[in-house]
Amino acid sequence: MKPSAENEMTDQIREQLSALLDGELPPDEMGLLMRRLDKDPGLRRTFGSYALIGETLRAPGGRIASPSFAACVSAALDEAPVLVEKASAARPGAMVQARQHVALWKRPMVRTALAASAAVSAVLLFRPDVTPVARLEVTPASSFAMSASPTPAQSQRLAGYMVAHSQFSTPMVRRNVLSSLLAADPGIARVSYEMGEAPWQ
Amino acid sequence: MQAMQNFPPSDESMKSREPGDDDAGPTAGAEQSDLELVRRAQQNERGAFDLLVLKYQHKVIKLVARLLRDPTEAEDVAQEAFVKAYRALGSFRGDSAFYTWLYRIAVNTARNSIASRQRRPLDYEAELSESEQNNVAARLKHDDTPEATVLSEEIRQTVNSAIEQLPEDLRTAIVLREIEGLSYEEIAVAMDCPVGTVRSRIFRAREAIDRALKPLLE
Repeated sequence: MKPSAENEMTDQIREQLSALLDGELPPDEMGLLMRRLDKDPGLRRTFGSYALIGETLRAPGGRIASPSFAACVSAALDEAPVLVEKASAARPGAMVQARQHVALWKRPMVRTALAASAAVSAVLLFRPDVTPVARLEVTPASSFAMSASPTPAQSQRLAGYMVAHSQFSTPMVRRNVLSSLLAADPGIARVSYEMGEAPWQ
Repeated sequence: MQAMQNFPPSDESMKSREPGDDDAGPTAGAEQSDLELVRRAQQNERGAFDLLVLKYQHKVIKLVARLLRDPTEAEDVAQEAFVKAYRALGSFRGDSAFYTWLYRIAVNTARNSIASRQRRPLDYEAELSESEQNNVAARLKHDDTPEATVLSEEIRQTVNSAIEQLPEDLRTAIVLREIEGLSYEEIAVAMDCPVGTVRSRIFRAREAIDRALKPLLE
């Protein structure tokens, strides 16, 4: 029986696949073959089968992958899409991916850091009893809490500031800054001590 | 963690072949082909990485199964190794063969699995929930060692039998390629024929064996 043109075409493609496995496919044939492989699961199955034949001839016995193994790996990569890390300068495509990767995780951190530093600066600026030079000194947290005494109006303004900027900070940062404010307010501290909640009691 | 210190392995540490990796190694052409697939995968061409998985899945699973001593975990650990390799692909610069690099990742993943298993206390009295029991049953069915061994043996016998039935020129070509690891050019010299004929003979040999294997793999 004379082979049809379609069969001849299929054979040519499969022969290319065989050559690809052996690293003998000319580079100019690779692009088209890769596009065909993407669309044709049958071709991928054939490639896996060719690889299995070689593996069986070289190292008979032992475990082999179940028929669904490669599909499972592919699904695992689909479920948790990963970006190629640590790209080298030689590969511009990979570099772009790496930059995007960094930008994605960095963006919220930068926003959080900005919001936190803005909040801390605001706390320092609203301390009327401290001179500008003293504001630059590193002060232990405990002495800072006891020396700061914002007026109720200032506290209200700070709380408003925190609410306005809360969308840019994490709950942890907000909690820390609000704790500092509460500790700095002697009125609130006094109420706590009267309730017997001072940490040293 | 100790075992992860070398992950991802640097190309520099991978230049020599691994001890125990005594299979006929890939030819320079095959390595070049792997590097081309890696390059494409690095440019987000997932199909290229899928081909590398298809090419090395059996080799990696065999390796991991030998290290783990518990073959039922081999596929999970091998899958983890491939996922790690994909994630670290950007650090692969092609100074070593791709499989040598993948080999190191698979070994590290297997070591980590062994270490975490040793840290997990055995509690024989703990009752498994229904879903856990189903999961174990499914794993046993899927990864059952005797069944896997039988399938592996059937595949070996089918491949050998198909090779014996090949015409001599096809048989010689496939044996020189797969067992001796010769390049097409070297085979062409050995068989005194053009490289194109070698490519065609190897393909036809694979097709014949693949036809014999199909009922087993479907």
